[in-house]
Amino acid sequence: MRKKIIFASAIAGGVVLTAAVAQQLPDQYKQLLELGMHPGYAYLDEGEDYFHNLKGPNGKTCASCHGQDASKLVGAYAHMPRYYKDIGKVADIDIRMLSCMTKYMGFPKSKDFIKKYTKKYRVPLATYVASKSNGMKIDVKLDDPQEKELYKYGEKLWWTRSGARDFSCGICHTVLSDKRIRQQALPNPVRDKLYKHWPTYRYSNDKMWTMEDRVRSCFKAFLLYVNKWDKKKDWIKKPPPYSKEVVAIELYMKHKGNGAIINVPGFIR
Amino acid sequence: MKKIVIAGAFAGLGLLVACQPAAQRAEAPKAEKKKLSAEEKFKIALFKNQDKWQKACSNPTQLVPEGIDIDTFKKEMLATVKYPEGGVMGDWKKGEKLFGDPRKQGKSLRGNCYACHCGDPTVIACGNIGPSLRGYAKRGKDPKETYIRIYNSWAQNPCSVMPRLGYHGVLKPQEIADIVAFLHDPSSPINK
Repeated sequence: MRKKIIFASAIAGGVVLTAAVAQQLPDQYKQLLELGMHPGYAYLDEGEDYFHNLKGPNGKTCASCHGQDASKLVGAYAHMPRYYKDIGKVADIDIRMLSCMTKYMGFPKSKDFIKKYTKKYRVPLATYVASKSNGMKIDVKLDDPQEKELYKYGEKLWWTRSGARDFSCGICHTVLSDKRIRQQALPNPVRDKLYKHWPTYRYSNDKMWTMEDRVRSCFKAFLLYVNKWDKKKDWIKKPPPYSKEVVAIELYMKHKGNGAIINVPGFIR
Repeated sequence: MKKIVIAGAFAGLGLLVACQPAAQRAEAPKAEKKKLSAEEKFKIALFKNQDKWQKACSNPTQLVPEGIDIDTFKKEMLATVKYPEGGVMGDWKKGEKLFGDPRKQGKSLRGNCYACHCGDPTVIACGNIGPSLRGYAKRGKDPKETYIRIYNSWAQNPCSVMPRLGYHGVLKPQEIADIVAFLHDPSSPINK
């Protein structure tokens, strides 16, 4: 009996292993993609709608500055995150769009609006703007001293081991890449230049994610704590959105992805 | 009679209301000190809480400590290990649930060992980061060594990928002893 179970589990394990290594998509998603129905396109269309129709308090839309066909945004995403003179800091796509809305479209810098932006406008708009750079190469230049400084900070953060599990970004995504955590293969975003397909649609939670979401959720898995490890009291769930640490890691990964051809929206587990 | 009860209730309420501000006043300064913004909390957790050994391992090789001699590193880590009163072999049935409940496809919010290790042959959803632990008791390892490895893996293997579960307090000494029993007990499913 025992032997049979082991034999069966070995076969099942083999199937699971090949599935994980080949990164096979479930059948329903394969069929969707074959029909040309990428679930991420819904976000893209929503973003296009906001781009043309979302009016700020002073009557401007995104289209009134960036052109009706968004022609002025072509290639912009390929250079992000970068230093912007008008906001005086290094910004990724999420921060850049937020400051556009508060600075030029007249939205208030209030907590309520930032919350609404984070939940509603950010991901669709980011997908739309990023898709305008499809087919171009990632080209993050690091010309500005602030960019260089943040890049170094990002590299340091990549290797920083901390928290209740002694993890760093590098432990899972450099040292252990290509191994499996349970059945899920660990990707190597730096070596494989995976930034090219972000923002991406994740079918495991049926949502579009920008890199901001990805990095923040990864930090959650560090199991960071303030005082002593206590999952109920002192566990930090996520770093706040639009923080310097998140942008630093994005800058590090995207600079390492230089030369890869952008293809947005992506489609991953 | 009813009136008395109602009056008593009012008096009680009044007392409660009257007492509350005093209680709040006593707690208030403590609460103010503890309130940190999310960003501050994050920075404390990421850098201020990082211990000396984590810092030594935060280099691009990730698996070799920098700035601390390996032998000293091991000795210092071994000194942090605390042992349970009842010995390092606990109850393997409790340990099985901490290791990963086979009835829930090996899921466990505590030990979560199946994320990296294979164990019970009926649980196939196991990772390949760590070595497989099937038939662990037959390898002739000392249970005390196993205990140390789970409590603080860096005492044997500096900068190892394996989290220091006991050192951080994720698992209590008695719970680690239960897991050790699950690994070493000949009647546990991992050894069958």
